[in-house]
Amino acid sequence: MRGVALAACALLASAALVTFPVWSAGWESSRYATTILRDMLILAIFALSLDLLVGTAGLPSLGHAAFFGAGAYAAAIAMERAGSDDLLLALGAAVAVAALLALVIGSFSVRTSGIFFLMLTLAFAQIVFAAAFQATDLTGGSNGFAGVLRPTFLGLDFNGPEALYQLVATIFILVIVILWRIRSSAYGRALVGLRENERRMRALGYDTTRLKLSAFVLAGALAGLGGALSGFALRFVSTNDVSLGRSIEGFVAVLVGGSGSLVGPAIGAAVVLYIERVLSSAVPFSETVLGLVFIVFVLAARQGIVGIGRAAYGRVRR
Amino acid sequence: MIETVDLRRAFGGLVALDGVTVRVAEGERRAIIGPNGAGKTTLFNILTGELRPTSGRVRLAGEDVTGRRPHELARRGLARMYQRNELFDPLPARDNVALGVGAARGPYRPFTRPPAADVAAADALLEQVGLGDRVRVPARELSHGERRQLELALALARRPRVLLLDEPTAGMSPAETARITSLIASLERTLTIVVVEHDMDVVFRLAERVTVLHEGRVIADGTPAAVRADSQVNEVYLGKVVA
Repeated sequence: MRGVALAACALLASAALVTFPVWSAGWESSRYATTILRDMLILAIFALSLDLLVGTAGLPSLGHAAFFGAGAYAAAIAMERAGSDDLLLALGAAVAVAALLALVIGSFSVRTSGIFFLMLTLAFAQIVFAAAFQATDLTGGSNGFAGVLRPTFLGLDFNGPEALYQLVATIFILVIVILWRIRSSAYGRALVGLRENERRMRALGYDTTRLKLSAFVLAGALAGLGGALSGFALRFVSTNDVSLGRSIEGFVAVLVGGSGSLVGPAIGAAVVLYIERVLSSAVPFSETVLGLVFIVFVLAARQGIVGIGRAAYGRVRR
Repeated sequence: MIETVDLRRAFGGLVALDGVTVRVAEGERRAIIGPNGAGKTTLFNILTGELRPTSGRVRLAGEDVTGRRPHELARRGLARMYQRNELFDPLPARDNVALGVGAARGPYRPFTRPPAADVAAADALLEQVGLGDRVRVPARELSHGERRQLELALALARRPRVLLLDEPTAGMSPAETARITSLIASLERTLTIVVVEHDMDVVFRLAERVTVLHEGRVIADGTPAAVRADSQVNEVYLGKVVA
């Protein structure tokens, strides 16, 4: 009974999210809100993919933007070179390139853990950043890659802002469903085991190196998906998308929202983007505000917004 | 069932194992004793693949497994109860053991839940080690004695053929020691057990044969009675403990 109610709620929420441009059409700021929400969802996909490493498997990557950016560039370049705006071509290229890059970087990185893993992923991401910066023929270098096509699929045209928003929202929900299934699966539990005690996992017969690599590739592929959507949304890909700044943005979203929870990173992404984009026009020093929010959460609320919510709910029930 | 041939391991200039040959038969209960620094833990770390020997061979069930990694050895039927518990602290006792029970199937099933049979098997194992009424309690909230029992359940979770016990009664009260000792004594007779232990009562209760290590060498090997009577053993070790 409780399961049915939960499923109904999730379905209703998903429908409300996808149809946001429709039911908000009467608002004066509907278009602006749709754009903001779209970018929140893209950052959320990035943060969710990162949290599969940070929160679930206990692998603190500081180079996740490499895969986001690789996906963004791959989709944009594939569409340009093929002279096609096919959605599957673009997403396929993004996921494949991001996953392949993650396989290469992961093969070295997952042999370490903790601070060494953090530093190694950061170093690899900086190499990818430098490559994107210098390969001007392919990426546009410091000018960026402008005029990214928006995709079409089976007669659906995602050029309009509403249609593109709906594509982003649908893929966001897809990512949430994938991660939700993974969490309760044998695979998800093995990742938690990895986070809690790698030595015991080895002693139980799990090949932990391979397990970590698989999570790294999966997270990279999902980040690449987010990157492709970012390219569609902004019609622009730049070295910002592979930068340390982007990696940190994702990390902050994960920690503010609550790592290791399904919706936490998405909530965190919404908060980060709200501060960066909405608050910035109203308050001076919004970047400073973001920094302060981050510090407060690290010092006082390690479990993030989701953790605060859980604690409050626990108190009410008692 | 498990044997080492002329095993050596040096850490820099320090020789921890200096030509250790030990052969444990199937179903045997073997104790390895010796003073601190004798090389007991180094030997265990090599047997489980967590450490490579400088030279020498390790055989498991007739197969040369020298240099194999820990997970490969676990899949061949080797399990270890660590001296310092290696548990999944925030997870309930049941989920701790279920991770071990399901390990044989492999983790690459991202969209299927672990079968209910895993949970049932985990509960049965917890019942066997005396934690039947604690299955939902997170590992970190268990008492020290209970955590040792959970550690044993985790070692048994894959139905091993060879069980290495690294000081199973470490830090336990006399009552807890008695309980876990009879628990280990009651395990299936086909299971090969190698136990490192300082508590001589436990050693003489569990073991059919005792190997004595001293400064990385085997200085005695035989029945508990023979080892107890050995003058060299008494000099380096037993004399100080039993007195």
